[in-house]
Amino acid sequence: MSTPAKTIDVSHLEPHVMDARSPIWWGNLLLLCIETTMFALLVATYFYIHMNYAAWPPPRATNSNYQTNPALGYPTINLLLILASVVPMFIADRACLRRDAGTVKICMTAMVIIGLVTIALRFLEFGCLQFRWDDNAYAGIVWTTVGMHLLHLVTATAENFILCLWLWIKGMDDKHARDVRVGAVYWYWIAAIWIPLYVIVYFGPRLI
Amino acid sequence: MNVVARTPVPSINAPDAASHHSLDRLWSRAPGFIGWLCSTNHKDIGLRYIVTAFTFFGLAGILALLMRIQLAFPEMHFLGPDLYNQIFTVHGSTMMFLFAVPVMEGIAIYFVPLMVGTRNVAFPRLNAFGYFAYVAGGLLLWGGLLTNTGADVGWFAYVPLSGPQFSPGHRVDVWADMITLTEISALVGAVQVITTVFKQRAPGMSLNRLPIFVWAQVVASFMVIFAMPSVMIASGFLAMDRLTHVNTHFFNPAEGGDALLYQHLFWFFGHPEVYIIFIPATGFVSTMIETFSGRRIFGYTALVLSLIATAFIGFGLWVHHMFATPLPNLGRSFFTASSMMIAIPNGVQMFCWIATLWSGPRLRRAVASAVSADKTQDRATSRARAPGTAHPTARIPTPLWFVLGFVFIFMMGGLTGIILASIPLDIQVHDTYFVVAHFHYVLIGGAVFPLFGAFYYWFPKWTGRMLNQSLGRWNFWTLFFGFNIAFFPMHILGLKGMTRRIYTYVAETGWGNLNLLATIGAGIIGISILLFLVNVFVSRKRGEIAQANPWFAPSLEWAIPSPPPAYNYYFLPSVRGGHALWENPEEQPIVVGLSTEKREVLNTTIMDAQPEHRYELAVDSIWPLLLAIVVGLTMTWFIFSPWAIPGGAFASMLVLFAWFWRGTEPKHLIEAAEGEPAPEDVPEEPATA
Repeated sequence: MSTPAKTIDVSHLEPHVMDARSPIWWGNLLLLCIETTMFALLVATYFYIHMNYAAWPPPRATNSNYQTNPALGYPTINLLLILASVVPMFIADRACLRRDAGTVKICMTAMVIIGLVTIALRFLEFGCLQFRWDDNAYAGIVWTTVGMHLLHLVTATAENFILCLWLWIKGMDDKHARDVRVGAVYWYWIAAIWIPLYVIVYFGPRLI
Repeated sequence: MNVVARTPVPSINAPDAASHHSLDRLWSRAPGFIGWLCSTNHKDIGLRYIVTAFTFFGLAGILALLMRIQLAFPEMHFLGPDLYNQIFTVHGSTMMFLFAVPVMEGIAIYFVPLMVGTRNVAFPRLNAFGYFAYVAGGLLLWGGLLTNTGADVGWFAYVPLSGPQFSPGHRVDVWADMITLTEISALVGAVQVITTVFKQRAPGMSLNRLPIFVWAQVVASFMVIFAMPSVMIASGFLAMDRLTHVNTHFFNPAEGGDALLYQHLFWFFGHPEVYIIFIPATGFVSTMIETFSGRRIFGYTALVLSLIATAFIGFGLWVHHMFATPLPNLGRSFFTASSMMIAIPNGVQMFCWIATLWSGPRLRRAVASAVSADKTQDRATSRARAPGTAHPTARIPTPLWFVLGFVFIFMMGGLTGIILASIPLDIQVHDTYFVVAHFHYVLIGGAVFPLFGAFYYWFPKWTGRMLNQSLGRWNFWTLFFGFNIAFFPMHILGLKGMTRRIYTYVAETGWGNLNLLATIGAGIIGISILLFLVNVFVSRKRGEIAQANPWFAPSLEWAIPSPPPAYNYYFLPSVRGGHALWENPEEQPIVVGLSTEKREVLNTTIMDAQPEHRYELAVDSIWPLLLAIVVGLTMTWFIFSPWAIPGGAFASMLVLFAWFWRGTEPKHLIEAAEGEPAPEDVPEEPATA
């Protein structure tokens, strides 16, 4: 029974880290890889189905003159809102590093409200698609793409809501500050992925 | 075996019973059934995966025997066509989704934390959730079969056959929702494995010192992350096309949908799936070959690069499953070329293994000594002199037999693979028993043989007892001959034109004899599996007590007692090479200073594994089980109604809120730490520090 000559003492190491060194950050990143693959496959499906049509979007069987391009109003407002929402998220993200609980609480509350508004706008967006999901394959894929992104808006807003609740009731500790930062990465991704998806869903029919 | 096994490295194990006890209590699950349900220990979850997956293997094997009985003679009436369709579909789906992937994942979840030298996976609760979601998927599929709602459209459920027009009822919906549940589980497992390996390695275990087993699991996990979404989308579209009130038209040509789109989406998952199963198995093979040859594996870097290359190329082959569809010729040629190309990294692996075995001092010595003994004495006396050392081949340990069986059978599967990668031949034998023979050679040879080897190799780690080695050799030889007798004739049947998935045939085809032979082979495989089960059940209680490192293996999991204590390593180890236990482990520094009051692990840097920070893991919880129940019920509800999605999402969210809220209550930690001994007993301060 020999005893080791040396030890590596880790008691001085930080118990929490707030950045990309944290396992949670990596878990979140891998989740985003999964979800990015999902959207990539939806986009591939979109273009695959496009090959089956002479006109895109397909004309309506009942009235061929009817406008089939998706309307741009609500979708564009929502896009701008989602992009703008990155700002309060970023402020909260930075405030976590300073352990500035007050700013984080206010920004997170704002994020919950913004999230609810984007979700509401998203429901109006469905009306702008001009088709019902069961009209044809084109309608199916655009509804699914927009709907999948809605699912992320809902998930992230729910996550922000519970974190916000925690911050207001129990205050901010290092662990939850890290959770806010990881949630911020998720939100940045939600905003970033929506740019190409918005272009494809709303301008695809006009450009291709 | 003629190598004296070493005792476990003393320094990283608990210095005395009291210290062991205090840390063990912190990391153990609570007693009783509820404690069992709440467990988040990776060893509990890993073993549950393995046992559950093996149960499904047995059940699907019974289905295979039923099919073989039906096909043994022409015009049998043992199974009707409808039941036969359900049985082959559930057989294939179970083997792929409920056995092959989960069993590899279970072994990863059990051994990856041990091999990288940590105490649990990075997200213990998510891990528990993944297991329960997998069980829910299995219950759904088998519940369907037992209620005459078994999926009946083949394991890949091609449209239009599986679409609403040709498959009314709910059989296909059961299949599609099973896919969602099992893929959730696979994705959760993949995220676990990658994060654990990236962040929780022992100090000094830089990426170029990672055991090949761990590399294989990481590569397979990355493949899961990029492949599984595709089948979730394919099965999701299928479910939406079928569901009343949703009725999308993704695969309905009348409304611009496309049946081939389904095939693309399915095989973009389906081909990588083969490697998701095969790559971990190559990890087992590398591990066993290294241990039994007694030398560092030949061509470590080449092997790792081969794994990664296989993963990349594995995503570029899917169209070779679709050669019989109207694809552009250029596309077909491209996929032929890439299908051939994957032979290169696999060939590199094969040559590295052969080189390791060839030059391994341990195996050579063992065989040489047995051969010389054989020369000097006649066989009968040498056998009488020392049982188990009588013949050169008796020196080959049982796990290695399975590895050698793998080499032979997988190579046969590879040869027919080259045939199938070539378009004219593929079109000739498409959808015949030739294909059935090919993929059983590849999957049973490539995954099941290494897996059985792994069972024999790691059984002592799980239970503290050895499996019986002689019975193991019987197990091997019956499996080897049974397999070849069952599946080799199928090549010929396929060339003679017997199509797959037919439930019977007429005597005039002349297929009867070969089919009977295949059925006999299947029976021998059944006997082999029974021998294995007997071995497991007997050895579990009465097997030879295993030393801590019975094979004199180099990797860290053998440094601790068998079965491992709940906390794995009392002091986390550090390493200075890729073969921790062959490199004077007694002189390696050990890690001190982790908390003994909460479940804390050490996080290290991604490349070089330098200590970076401490990280607290969640304690046991019932919420993962409750979430899996909610998700399972949601997917069952989704068979009937689209409202399951918003309803299930809302219910899941409530459970997740509770999970989050309760999970961070410090009360659990206080409870867990109750009864801790006085501070001087805690391992933060080793005697010499």
